[in-house]
Amino acid sequence: MQSLITKETIRHLAKLARLELTTAEEEKILADLSKILAYFEELRALDTSAVVPMTGGTHLKDAFRDDEPLETNRGEGVDIFPESESGLLKIPPVFEP
Amino acid sequence: MTENLTIKKFHDGLAKKKFSAIEVAKDYFSRIKSADGKLGAYLSLNEERALADAEALDFAIGEGENIGLLAGVPLAVKDNILIKGLPATAASKILEYYRASYDAEVVRKLRNEHAIFIGKTNMDEFAMGASTENSAFKIARNPHDHTRVPGGSSGGSAAAVAADLAIAALGSDTGGSIRQPASFCGVVGLKPTYGAVSRSGLIAMASSMDQIGPITKTVEDAAILFRAITGKDRLDATSAETEFEDFENTSPETLRALTIGLPGEYFAGGLSKEVSSEIERVIEKFKALKFMFKKISLPHAKYAIPCYYLSMPAEVSSNLARFEGIRYGRNENLKSQTSPNGHSSGRISNLQEIYFKQRGAGFGPEVKRRIILGTFVLSSGYYDAYYEKAQRARMLIKQDFDEAFADVDVILSPVAPTTAFKIGEKIDDPLAMYLSDVFTGSVNLAGLPAISIPTKPSSALATKELPVGFQLIGKHFREADILGLGKLYERTFL
Repeated sequence: MQSLITKETIRHLAKLARLELTTAEEEKILADLSKILAYFEELRALDTSAVVPMTGGTHLKDAFRDDEPLETNRGEGVDIFPESESGLLKIPPVFEP
Repeated sequence: MTENLTIKKFHDGLAKKKFSAIEVAKDYFSRIKSADGKLGAYLSLNEERALADAEALDFAIGEGENIGLLAGVPLAVKDNILIKGLPATAASKILEYYRASYDAEVVRKLRNEHAIFIGKTNMDEFAMGASTENSAFKIARNPHDHTRVPGGSSGGSAAAVAADLAIAALGSDTGGSIRQPASFCGVVGLKPTYGAVSRSGLIAMASSMDQIGPITKTVEDAAILFRAITGKDRLDATSAETEFEDFENTSPETLRALTIGLPGEYFAGGLSKEVSSEIERVIEKFKALKFMFKKISLPHAKYAIPCYYLSMPAEVSSNLARFEGIRYGRNENLKSQTSPNGHSSGRISNLQEIYFKQRGAGFGPEVKRRIILGTFVLSSGYYDAYYEKAQRARMLIKQDFDEAFADVDVILSPVAPTTAFKIGEKIDDPLAMYLSDVFTGSVNLAGLPAISIPTKPSSALATKELPVGFQLIGKHFREADILGLGKLYERTFL
């Protein structure tokens, strides 16, 4: 089976994942992923048509709890943030003035 | 007197006033300072607070207060587990300046027991790896041979315990990350049943498989630590309350009634000579104790690695989306591109650009590889063929165990196919590194408990001989069986 992944695929995926990659990184990931996916081909031959997918690690269902207010650490997220001013988080400007 | 302490020995010494908590804590810090430069087990230390906690405990003991088994025990904590006010980098640049704003539930529980946290340990970045070479800050070395890896991803915790730079430690295990380093370093590592320990405050890698567990010098210590951290937590909806038996006092007769299964697929080849002969010896020892063995089959075992390495990256790509480079760290990269008046030509003008730049600069190669792979298997057109396929295979792997456990109580197997490999040996070949998880990953896919126990004590290793661990896999929430059996082995043969 031919490789599913091209450099364009990697670029598209990196864009979806909001990940800046250098050209060298693109090439390395392309080579690695092609190898990894080829190794995984064995799995595609396994007949799973009658199997229900196992999603998640638990069989617990509807794990509800009472909706009661708890003591929280409100404000501590601000204290721990690298820069803040009057209880507000300071982040770089993201809009054109 | 304060060397090679186990939790049990430390507690006895403290209770009999052979030493104080602060003496022992100070000894550990001085050992860390002389040995860890070379070993690289720790990423940060918590000396000031640890010594203050030890002093407060000594004062309470002086006042006649009764203390629990874990009081004053110097513990190391993997750096993806939050301790309020301390760094929690997960060995990633993107979290280099982050400080935890709350305690993980396991830390809260241990704090209530007056355990002492001496530092945060090195690991593969975001727990992705089997050698600790993926740490963004430094590599860690195997205490038995400094040219070799300690395993991973909890390599720092295992190395710290093996080198006696902590009495015990916490690690996390998503596909073998507690058990494999425990095997490589000659210590005990327990991966609890999925849901037995709260994941609140554990930096998520693959949420359907992650579990926190103990890395210790003895099985008895693993049982003590496990008992302290297990239980339902309202902040982790997948955690469960279970009644654990008093496995510390399970009689040998009760234990001997357990049937041990040997999965043919795990012994079918691919094991190194050292590992295979050590595991055979362990089987002989259990047979000498008149344990009943049964051959079992896990027919889908060969799909475990593909299944794991398709499922896990999908969860990774989702979980790591939260690291956008703003909320959890100093915005240094971004600030430097803006002049004081904010009118630099290199100025970042939109939010997406921040994400791309921060994530591109903040994540290491293995993390990027898994994010891309995970994004691929979840992307339109490939979801059914890869992600969903893997989830169906996961069900088959779990059903293999269900069927096996209808016949046997415990499964015995190797932990890893080899002993500790050389630093640099596998780092450029991700697939070779992934195969380190061949006997451990399926346990996480099925959500089962498993323990790695050294086949022999480190003191009995010949020159140049490296430690080997054997694995006992139990039924869901039957930690009592594997801990009890492990303790029997330890008492009889170690």
